Amino acid sequence: MMSEEMDLLDLDINEEFDEEALKKESEELLEMRFLTKENATFARTEGGFVSLKFGEKEYKRVGVYLTFPLTNPEEYISIREADEKAKEIGMVEDLKQLPKDQQEMIREQIRLRYFMPVIKKIMEIKEEYGYAYWYVETSFGVCRFTTHMSGDVVVSLSDSRLLVKDIDGNRYEIPDFYALGIQEKKKLDLFI
Amino acid sequence: MKLLFSLTGSQLEALALSAGERLIYCVPADLAYEVRRAGEMQTRGGLAAAESGSEGGVRERYEKDVFLAATNKRLVVLKGDQVTYQTELKDCEKIKCEHQVGCGIITVTDRNENDTCVARVSMRQIVRASYAVRGAQAIVRSLKENGDADHAEQITSSEYETYCEKCGRALPGTSTCPYCEGKMDIAKKFMSLCGGFVGKLLLISLSMLVISGMNMGLPMVQRWFIDNALSTGKGTWTDLGIFVGISFAFLIGAILLEVWKNLACIKLGSELSMSLREKLYRKIQVLSLSFINKRKPGELMNRVSRDTGRIREFFEEVFGYMFSTLLTMIVSLVVMLTISPVMTGLSLMFVIVVFTLMRIFWHHIHTIFHRQWMKSDELSNNIQDIISGMRIVKTFGTEDREAERFSKQARDYAKTQSRNETFWAVFFPILTFLLGCGTYVAVLIGGNNVLDGKMTMGQLVQFMTYSGYLFGPLGWMTHLPRMVMQMVTSLNRIYDVLDEEPKIKDRDGSKEIAIRGHFKFDKVSFGYNSYEPVLEDINFEVQPGEMIGLVGASGTGKSTMINLIMRLYDPDQGQIILDDVDLRDVKVECLHSQIGVVLQETFLFSGTILDNIRFAKPTATLAEVIQAAKAANAHDFICKTPDGYNTYVGEHGYNLSGGERQRIAIARAILNNPKLLILDEATSALDTESEFLIQQALNRLIQGRTTFAIAHRLSTLREANRLIVIDKHSIAEMGSHNELLEKKGIYYGLVTAQLKMAEGRPENVAANTSEQTAEDGENVAG
Repeated sequence: MMSEEMDLLDLDINEEFDEEALKKESEELLEMRFLTKENATFARTEGGFVSLKFGEKEYKRVGVYLTFPLTNPEEYISIREADEKAKEIGMVEDLKQLPKDQQEMIREQIRLRYFMPVIKKIMEIKEEYGYAYWYVETSFGVCRFTTHMSGDVVVSLSDSRLLVKDIDGNRYEIPDFYALGIQEKKKLDLFI
Repeated sequence: MKLLFSLTGSQLEALALSAGERLIYCVPADLAYEVRRAGEMQTRGGLAAAESGSEGGVRERYEKDVFLAATNKRLVVLKGDQVTYQTELKDCEKIKCEHQVGCGIITVTDRNENDTCVARVSMRQIVRASYAVRGAQAIVRSLKENGDADHAEQITSSEYETYCEKCGRALPGTSTCPYCEGKMDIAKKFMSLCGGFVGKLLLISLSMLVISGMNMGLPMVQRWFIDNALSTGKGTWTDLGIFVGISFAFLIGAILLEVWKNLACIKLGSELSMSLREKLYRKIQVLSLSFINKRKPGELMNRVSRDTGRIREFFEEVFGYMFSTLLTMIVSLVVMLTISPVMTGLSLMFVIVVFTLMRIFWHHIHTIFHRQWMKSDELSNNIQDIISGMRIVKTFGTEDREAERFSKQARDYAKTQSRNETFWAVFFPILTFLLGCGTYVAVLIGGNNVLDGKMTMGQLVQFMTYSGYLFGPLGWMTHLPRMVMQMVTSLNRIYDVLDEEPKIKDRDGSKEIAIRGHFKFDKVSFGYNSYEPVLEDINFEVQPGEMIGLVGASGTGKSTMINLIMRLYDPDQGQIILDDVDLRDVKVECLHSQIGVVLQETFLFSGTILDNIRFAKPTATLAEVIQAAKAANAHDFICKTPDGYNTYVGEHGYNLSGGERQRIAIARAILNNPKLLILDEATSALDTESEFLIQQALNRLIQGRTTFAIAHRLSTLREANRLIVIDKHSIAEMGSHNELLEKKGIYYGLVTAQLKMAEGRPENVAANTSEQTAEDGENVAG
């Protein structure tokens, strides 16, 4: 017997083994299922999440996962079940194809799930004993955070777009390095 | 980590605790969370979207005064002194902290399975919030089971804070802040560290005093000689002889003393760092896995090697000079001032100019060299990346692209480096020149004074010499605070490990027992993080000599159970009883010496195969080693290696395959002749034929020994007396192979699945040995 069977054990082992069902499940895993305004309807819940009616099935709460959060945040959005397994229900190919109000709902959920403040202004970066103390204005308001002094603190996503990671694991985005003031760029010199 | 923040009076008032209600957890929630809900057109609290600065319904803002509080009755969210959300815990089904991307949300599930998002936290607060929420969940469970919250488990967190509460600085992986609380503490530790070396320290200090005295004394002699012998014109050859003699003696004496002192400092530093290193290493060995697993291996290695190295460097480079230099500088300044306050002031002025220049350029210098350092880091990372991924690069044929990328980086680095060096080559001489200028001005004025007769020649020379003493070490002195702080931080990080109490240690009444192998799990619960349970309420009993197979999907807690049996961790709740003794009352060493373990990841130490097999029993004879290797089906391949049992394995040694490593690990476990055998995927890396052979050996081995075995390949477990199926953190099924098959539950599903897999692939079956297929048939037919 080969090692593939290990993967097999990760499948739903509560059911009696049925080759047909398994084949179907693997087909389902491969299939690209798209949620469109024709077959799916999202609605807000009392608890601040969204519910989904997809064909016959109704989901009390669904998870909204971005597949390309950094480059294409409004395309190929994966809608998943809200439990720990988070099985994919389907994908929204382009958010703009959904009705306006539902677009808004999904965007709210994205904002709830993804936290990455955009740095608008760098007031101060102070270095002390191996740590850098940042004082910045972000899209979430002014904020102080701390980073290590190593090279992987600031990662460039493109020529001008930067990500800063602090000691707790929060990530901050600098959308355009060249749009910063001279003084601000100078403060960033240590990391770029 | 702090889980109960104190609230202000008005906040407590808003909380309105009822009789018998008390605040148990209170943690900050630092992100605004409010989203538009069903039936709401605007954000809650009547705030228009535009007003709150949000787009859509989510307010995007940091919050400073929002707290998530749990009492023994309610879960409350406070904003300022207003309650923005509350629920009775008895109405809750579940409270969770769900990890999102870069943040976490706290959700409450009510009895109707409806989720409500009540608070949101950034990564800074997420660990704290997770613990607090786990605490609240324990209360919910206790309310459900007992009707009151008094039996709820009190959750505490042993994790360290990331920031100092007092000064807001980042903590360098320590429990106390080296800047605020640590200083006195560190001073004491430093003293205790030096305790064993008092004599040497005193001697070094004394030599430093003598050296300073000699240095200070020489210019005095010089002055006396110039004023009384040279400039008066009455000096004789004898005077000259005496002067040269004295100067020479001073010089030689000072040099000899200096050499001795430096040697003594180096020796002291090495001895200190060595004793620290030893202590650290021993401590890390003693500390429980829970401490070690919470830290990255690299970090602990750094503490052993780099931090102790820093201590050594401090003694070598700083300690020996610190006091004598300071003393020399102060005395020089005083003498200079008494000779001529004006000249002192003038030369100091240039020092100030130089320092201002240094300060102005400091940021630039620091930046360009830091950038160079980062570039070199990137370069070496890239090399490592490409070399370890060489096979991929070659198979995809992208050598040229990678070479081009690398040479671009290398050129870049070279450019930066040469630019930096050029800058330094220009900048440094300018500084030296400026410092020298002070001397020239002093000579000008001093010379004038001498010509006017206001000052003697000797005084001028003495002044010049002292100014050299004063300015020489100035550059070095500016680094002193940083070097001292580095030492303190390193010392702090070292003592952080040394002061840690091992969680798993022998109690006072711990005893040595000869293990018979009777095991009893009594309501055992455990989680690596106390907010995430891995095993819950495990109960079972094992008779001596029984073989127990542990079955279940990956990540269900099988290996965790084995960790508990080996007592690498203690259960959070409940107890494990071995031969009528609580496992915590058995001497750890005694327990481990009677357990043989073959783990999933087979780790071989750097050394020969012989060393590795003998690891648990260094006194084993060669015959015993070969016997064990034969039993593990390892003898044949060992013979084929060039150096046989003396073949060096480990990081830079002979390359063994996964299966070969596993067989050595099995031999290692067998050699010890253990009373208790633990096989965690012991044969997973072997081909079917070797597995069968080893299985035979293991079958002989497990006779009369209590054995716990984990295997995904169920045929491996066919000798097991009983099988325990673990699912969703607890025992789902337990019984013999046949009993479980009859039950048609999870185990039945697993067995049929594996059989179907084998059947469904005729090519696999054909590839297997005939014995193996027969076994499988046997296995299922049971």
